Amino acid sequence: MVLLAAVALTTLVANGASRLRAMAAAFLAVSIAANAIAAAAATVAQLAVLGAAGLAASGILFVAARDRDYGEDPEWRLWVATLIAAIATPAAFVSFRSVDLQAASFTLLGSDRSDVLVQVAAFWLLSSGTAILVTARSAVRTSLGALLMLTGVQLLVRLAPGPQLELTIGIAWIEVVVALVGAFLIVNERAVRE
Amino acid sequence: MSELIVPVAVLALASPLVFALRKRVAVAAVLSLGALAAAVVLLVLAPESRGQVLSLDLRLTPLARLAAVALLGLLAVIVADVWLDEPAYNLFPIALGVGAVVVAVLLLVSPLATYAALLVGLLLPVGSFTFQIHRNRSVEAAIRHFAFVSLGGTIGLAALALAAGLPHDQPQSTFVLLVVILYVAFALQLALIPFHTHAALLAGEAPATSLALYFGVLTPTIVIAFAEILTQSGLLPSIVQLAKVQDLLLGIGALSALGGAILAVGAADLRRLVVSSVIADLGMAVVGVGTFSGPGLVGGITIALATGASATQQLLAAGALERRAAGGAPRAARAPLAAATFVIGGVGLVGAPPVVAFPGHFFVELMAYAFAGWLGGALVLATLLLLLAQLRMAIVLFADGLPSWRPEPRPVAGVLGMLVFAALLVGGIAPDALLRPVAAFAEEFLRALRPL
Repeated sequence: MVLLAAVALTTLVANGASRLRAMAAAFLAVSIAANAIAAAAATVAQLAVLGAAGLAASGILFVAARDRDYGEDPEWRLWVATLIAAIATPAAFVSFRSVDLQAASFTLLGSDRSDVLVQVAAFWLLSSGTAILVTARSAVRTSLGALLMLTGVQLLVRLAPGPQLELTIGIAWIEVVVALVGAFLIVNERAVRE
Repeated sequence: MSELIVPVAVLALASPLVFALRKRVAVAAVLSLGALAAAVVLLVLAPESRGQVLSLDLRLTPLARLAAVALLGLLAVIVADVWLDEPAYNLFPIALGVGAVVVAVLLLVSPLATYAALLVGLLLPVGSFTFQIHRNRSVEAAIRHFAFVSLGGTIGLAALALAAGLPHDQPQSTFVLLVVILYVAFALQLALIPFHTHAALLAGEAPATSLALYFGVLTPTIVIAFAEILTQSGLLPSIVQLAKVQDLLLGIGALSALGGAILAVGAADLRRLVVSSVIADLGMAVVGVGTFSGPGLVGGITIALATGASATQQLLAAGALERRAAGGAPRAARAPLAAATFVIGGVGLVGAPPVVAFPGHFFVELMAYAFAGWLGGALVLATLLLLLAQLRMAIVLFADGLPSWRPEPRPVAGVLGMLVFAALLVGGIAPDALLRPVAAFAEEFLRALRPL
């Protein structure tokens, strides 16, 4: 439960950050918390790949900021995104639950072997990311929204049958490509503004 | 490790090499064309049809071979145009990256892996969309494309992951929601109406060659990936039992076909006309797939491939005409061959005989009529509107007459466009070469639809 709270809080911090560097650091925290929550459903190799992807994506955004003041103030969008995520997460969990609630065993610390928390975290990240992406005004929050959504997708993929390591590597690459494209657009957007 | 991965590896490895050499335009262009040619040869001569990379299955179907060769050929045309007519060194490595992704999408069997590769391919052209950023809104257009593609890509991946993980005894509403999300994801990536605003902005702001990369090469790949993912995901038997899910697909397609055609009639410039025509044609292709019938599917995929070729032809010609006009209104008098190429490219986008797009349009409209009178009527109306839009632009292009029929100096876009048109014409005269591999895939789709 603590890890789920960590995912929610770090997402809120990333969502509320008005500076890109703070946003990148908060995204790294989201990525670490999301990996920790699903650690029981992943191999060491998968965790290493995901950790590297999260670090690379946040590092790329951190460097793209170029100075500590650059970013996008979310203003009212923070509350809209939070509200949408708060409504959409339980709705999505009820509609698409693929795990057995009876088998759930929640502990305060540690990961949940029944995967209920993994799925809740995935829906939270997906709905938060969607809300941020849809309300974004610039490449800064667009990149954050896309990266949060991909972190949610990573969690869902871990619950799906199939070649896990290959899919994990594939989506980790997408995360890096999204960060690179986002950084490219952030640099261009800044050049236009200045 | 399967040999089937070699063409993908060649293109993927050539991309960073060309990126390093991109400012030496001639070297980068020759290397890019060489890598594309090598990948085509490897695909044509590939001895095996199945393979595995790590635990991912690969399969070279006749459709995958045909589509890969056709789409890599279009990429080569775009690279040649950029090299000889419109130096934009960023495009070479991006074109190779897109080529690698296109081949990977066509070879992969796992729906999640196919969709993930597709998402990477749709993100790559962003690097070529921005140019002269202080003079236009190309950065804004690129950001909007990035947002739409990221949204469509991630919700699509999430829907596929959920579909794979959900137990079979799901209530109907869960299933309908999942399929609707998947449709919306593809509609966002295909820029179907009402998810087309990023395409409209791109049409006005991005370079013509980058538009050709997206609307000529990537959109046909998305249509084929859509049909393949439906086939491989195991969703089809359940989809076919729910009439409203099929109606939704047909509705999105028909809306896009009609809306795109109306936008094309009102298009103010050459590029907007092409992009709107592509949106209309993709709508028709989606209707073809959505009829869940053999002829409809053959027609839909044929339309997608032929539309990609005609759109590339018209976009390259539009770029050449705009450059020759130097800020003024594009006129045939300044580039007669490019103008002629643009006009005959319209034949393919309208789906008129004798080009290979014709059987595609014929099959889809026939199946649409068989499905519902209003659907067939909507597609025929869309075709008529497209014809009107293309004729109107042709009249505008030739409004000042032609001082002579002599081609313009360095008629690169004109010559390349004529080559594309010749290929479409050969396909129209001998349609078996194109339709047979597509029909083999349609058979597989129908087997997945009603498994024994």
